[in-house]
Amino acid sequence: MHVKSMFVRLLIVVGLLFASVAPAGAEVAVVLNSADETVSLIDTNTYTEIQRYPVGKEPHHLMATTDDSHLIVASALSNELVMLDPVSGQIIRRVPKISDPYQIAFSPDKKWFVANSLRLDRVDIYNAADFSIAKRIPAPKAPSHLAFDRASQYVFVTLQDANQIMAIDLKTQSPAWTLPVGKTPAGIWMTPDDKYLLVGVMGSNYVEVIDWRARQSVKKIVTGDGAHNFQARGDGRQVFVSNRVDNSIAIVDQQTLTLVDKFPVPGGPDCMEVSRDGKQLWVTSRFIRQVQVVDLGTKKIVRSIAVGRSPHGVFFKTHAARQ
Amino acid sequence: MIELITQAFVALQASLFESVVQPVLFALGLTTYAELGFDAVEFFLYGVIEIALVWLLLRPLESLRPVERWADRRAVRVDVLYTLLNRLGLIPLLVFMLLAVPIGDLDGWLRLHDLIPGNLEDWLPVLRERPWLSFAAYLLIIDLNDYWRHRLQHRFDFWWALHSVHHSQRQMSFWSDSRNHLLDDLIQGVWMAAVSLLIGVPPAQFVLILLVTRAVENLSHANLRLGFGALGERLLVSTRFHRTHHAIGAGLKGRYRGCNFAVLFPLWDLLFGTARFDDAYAATGIGDQLQGADYGEGFWQQQTLGVKRLLAALAPSSSSHRTADDAYAAGCPQTVQAGSLPSWIARQSAASASNSNNRPSSDWPMPATSLSASAACMVPMMPVSGANTPITAQRTSSTSSPSGNRQ
Repeated sequence: MHVKSMFVRLLIVVGLLFASVAPAGAEVAVVLNSADETVSLIDTNTYTEIQRYPVGKEPHHLMATTDDSHLIVASALSNELVMLDPVSGQIIRRVPKISDPYQIAFSPDKKWFVANSLRLDRVDIYNAADFSIAKRIPAPKAPSHLAFDRASQYVFVTLQDANQIMAIDLKTQSPAWTLPVGKTPAGIWMTPDDKYLLVGVMGSNYVEVIDWRARQSVKKIVTGDGAHNFQARGDGRQVFVSNRVDNSIAIVDQQTLTLVDKFPVPGGPDCMEVSRDGKQLWVTSRFIRQVQVVDLGTKKIVRSIAVGRSPHGVFFKTHAARQ
Repeated sequence: MIELITQAFVALQASLFESVVQPVLFALGLTTYAELGFDAVEFFLYGVIEIALVWLLLRPLESLRPVERWADRRAVRVDVLYTLLNRLGLIPLLVFMLLAVPIGDLDGWLRLHDLIPGNLEDWLPVLRERPWLSFAAYLLIIDLNDYWRHRLQHRFDFWWALHSVHHSQRQMSFWSDSRNHLLDDLIQGVWMAAVSLLIGVPPAQFVLILLVTRAVENLSHANLRLGFGALGERLLVSTRFHRTHHAIGAGLKGRYRGCNFAVLFPLWDLLFGTARFDDAYAATGIGDQLQGADYGEGFWQQQTLGVKRLLAALAPSSSSHRTADDAYAAGCPQTVQAGSLPSWIARQSAASASNSNNRPSSDWPMPATSLSASAACMVPMMPVSGANTPITAQRTSSTSSPSGNRQ
């Protein structure tokens, strides 16, 4: 009897083990635990972590390839990109010799892949087709996040420790201009109408609105202390702003450039992902090792999911539009 | 249970960071250092927990099975200060602040020229997906690196001038591990940064490696009679093994200017011919202390004297300093696994006498004293045994009658 019971338990354990490795049919959210050097895979239906595996040193940000076939994890200290299956979250291959990739993005024309090296004060431009290096551009100090104009003429980079944004001309692949902004600029976001750059001023409590063609700051939208990062709601109108010090998420109207709403999210909210149906916002809480799931109808947290240390990037394939 | 402890730790770390550190950084316009501040809080908490655990475990053991009994523990207090400054993060933070920019500039310059520093995983891809194997590999490599760094601390006069602060403790206890000159800490920071550039030490694993290393170092410095057995002492650095390294006069003795340099694994000493396994527990210190050489008692005095020794070592006329401690017969073998202790001491005594004409003329690191006095000082390497004499009495007796010192 006892032996039988143990055997049954063993079968259950083995079954769970296989289930965790291959979550068949599950919708998977990918979370980067930057200080643990791991990826957490979360079943978006059950809100449970089904797998955690090592991916590389200091994975901070992630994004899909231009054809959505792969999910790219930028492993900063491993100097590589790790390609995941965006559905299962499993590793497919690695792209080596990518120097200290922190924040990454493809230009809208799909010609360039740009990687910011926050730690080493540089922006590296790669050919998007094969990730071969095209140009390494010094960018003092602390190039953090990046955004593009629709025509792919410029990549705009926040220089976190210089209190500036820098525009890099993608044709000449050289800095075109810089513009002073507020203290410690972090996230940067292009409005859907291609008119304004929104800059999260992390050292203060506002989002700075930049008319990039006129190269001037035109407005400050107070969102909360430590305004940090952006994510589109997917309706072409609203954008979420994470306020890391204020422990809140603000909603900004990208047409009127005004604050629409704000709700609390604990633990240093950072990167965000929105479900395709627009009902849920997932937020990484850097300082409490959790991912928060917010019901956007009630603006309340419905789930807090434990993950690894310093969770940063978050992604799932069935996300809302990026505008 | 582990989950509950982890949750409590995470909550405490977040609370400390969000209520104390982050508001200060934000007010000072230093939000860019938020992640660093968050990591510093974690480092601080690990330090608090580690100090508490080590104190709770090793202090009673030191009382139960001491190598030496001290009537007066004042000399230990400065080591407590070193430990607090180091383990709670102040010294590591200072080292980081001094090195982050130049190391970052060097790293950036290399990459600008398409020289991307390597990672161990580039050569051993299997490590990427096996965290424990990766941990073991980095632990071994970092310990090997620590072994060679430690050997060079004894090998070069300028480095020994600083490292001797660590060796000058004659009341060695589990607190003594962090007793280092600040410049020594800085050099060690540069050394570790170089290793990181070469093999890409993973930050997450480095924290664990640091905790393991520090725990073993606490134990190996303890004033504790704790044998690991013949095999155990060859697998992990024990109090006895490391005490031999700290033996009076051993610091600069022999071909390798010391023995038992390993931090975690004696394997390195065995491989490179610097291992010495004694049955005895040696008295600790630096040979010339018995002749009155002053390494300072307080923190700043030790730091100041360390700088003076460094300047003297760097002076053009300092070439003979390296042999100073050789005058003390106690020390380490020139080859691995010397014979019995008495026969070895006899050999070293003879070697010491033959070196008498090479004594430095300056007052560092050994004051000008007669050879007969220094030769007699081989006794401190004798095992500590029998009735334990208070350190004050030891100090008094050490200059007049070395055989009566310490025990």
